[in-house]
Amino acid sequence: MPLNPSLKGKEYQELTVTVERDYVLQFADAIGEDGSLFRDARAARAAGYGEQLAPPTFVTRMQLMASAQVVLDQELGLNYAMVVHGEQEYDWRRPVVVGDVLTATPRIADIYAKKSHEYLVIESEIKDARGETVVVGRTTLISRGTAGRD
Amino acid sequence: MARLAFDRVAVGDQLPAFSKVVKRDDVKAYADASGDQNPLHQDEAFARSVGFPGIIAHGMFTMAHVVKAVTDWAGDPGALRSIKVQFRAVVFMDETLVARGEVASKDEAARRVRLRVWAEVDRGGERVLPIKNSEAEVELA
Repeated sequence: MPLNPSLKGKEYQELTVTVERDYVLQFADAIGEDGSLFRDARAARAAGYGEQLAPPTFVTRMQLMASAQVVLDQELGLNYAMVVHGEQEYDWRRPVVVGDVLTATPRIADIYAKKSHEYLVIESEIKDARGETVVVGRTTLISRGTAGRD
Repeated sequence: MARLAFDRVAVGDQLPAFSKVVKRDDVKAYADASGDQNPLHQDEAFARSVGFPGIIAHGMFTMAHVVKAVTDWAGDPGALRSIKVQFRAVVFMDETLVARGEVASKDEAARRVRLRVWAEVDRGGERVLPIKNSEAEVELA
C-alpha cells in the first residue's frame, strides 16, 4: 500500500536527551573506537574540546528514538517489514560532547516513488541547550515494492 | 594526534584502510548501544524468514567504521563536517569489513577536502560494496 504523500513536511514531537558518559563509552566500545578523545576528558580538553567527545555517529541513537514516531505514524501507512535503510547523511556544525543537552525534531522531508519502491526521507535537526544546531541527520528509508498503482 | 594539514594532502591520496571482522557479539553490542533492536540483526530464524541466509550487521554499524577511517586519517574527529552514504549490500557475520576512502577534491579557500568513501567485503572472491557512491567532507588545518 502506498505511503500517504500528504504527510510531506509533517513535523513530529521533539525529543531531548542528555549525552551521558556511560552511553558514550558503550557506543565507542561497540564500534571499536579507542581514541583517547572519546574516553578521557583530560585528553579532550588538552585537544581544545570542552569535554570528552561522543563518536560522530553517536547521535544515531537519539535519531532512531525520535524517528520512531514517524515510522509508527498510522497516517503514514509504513509497513516496517518492507523497509530497508537506503541512505544516511550527517552534517555536523560541531562535535557532540558529554553533558550536551540535545533536542531532536524529526520531520518528513520527502516522500517519493521510483519504479516499484517508495522513498521516505526523515530529517532530524539536533540542537543544543542554547538552541544552536549541532548536527542535521537525514535518513532515507526504502519501502520495497509498495508504490502500487490504484 | 593533531589535525592533518591541508597542504599535506593531494587529490588521489588513499586513506589507510580500517578493517574489522564482524562477529555476532559486535552486532549485539551495536544493537544495545544504538537502541536498534531489529531482529534482523540478532535472530537467525527471523533473518531467514525475510530472505537472508543469516543475520546481517546494521548499516549504521558499517557506516561507523567508514567514519572512523575518515577521522583517524584526519587526526581529529572534529574535522569531520559531513558524510553521505548509500547502503547497497548487506554484511554477514564473520565477514571482514574494510572501510576505505580517497581524496576526491580540495577547496583551498575553505581548507576543506572532499573524500570518496566506501566499505568493502570479500565474499568468496567477489568484491562486494556494502557502502558505495558515498562521500565525506573534512576541514583540515
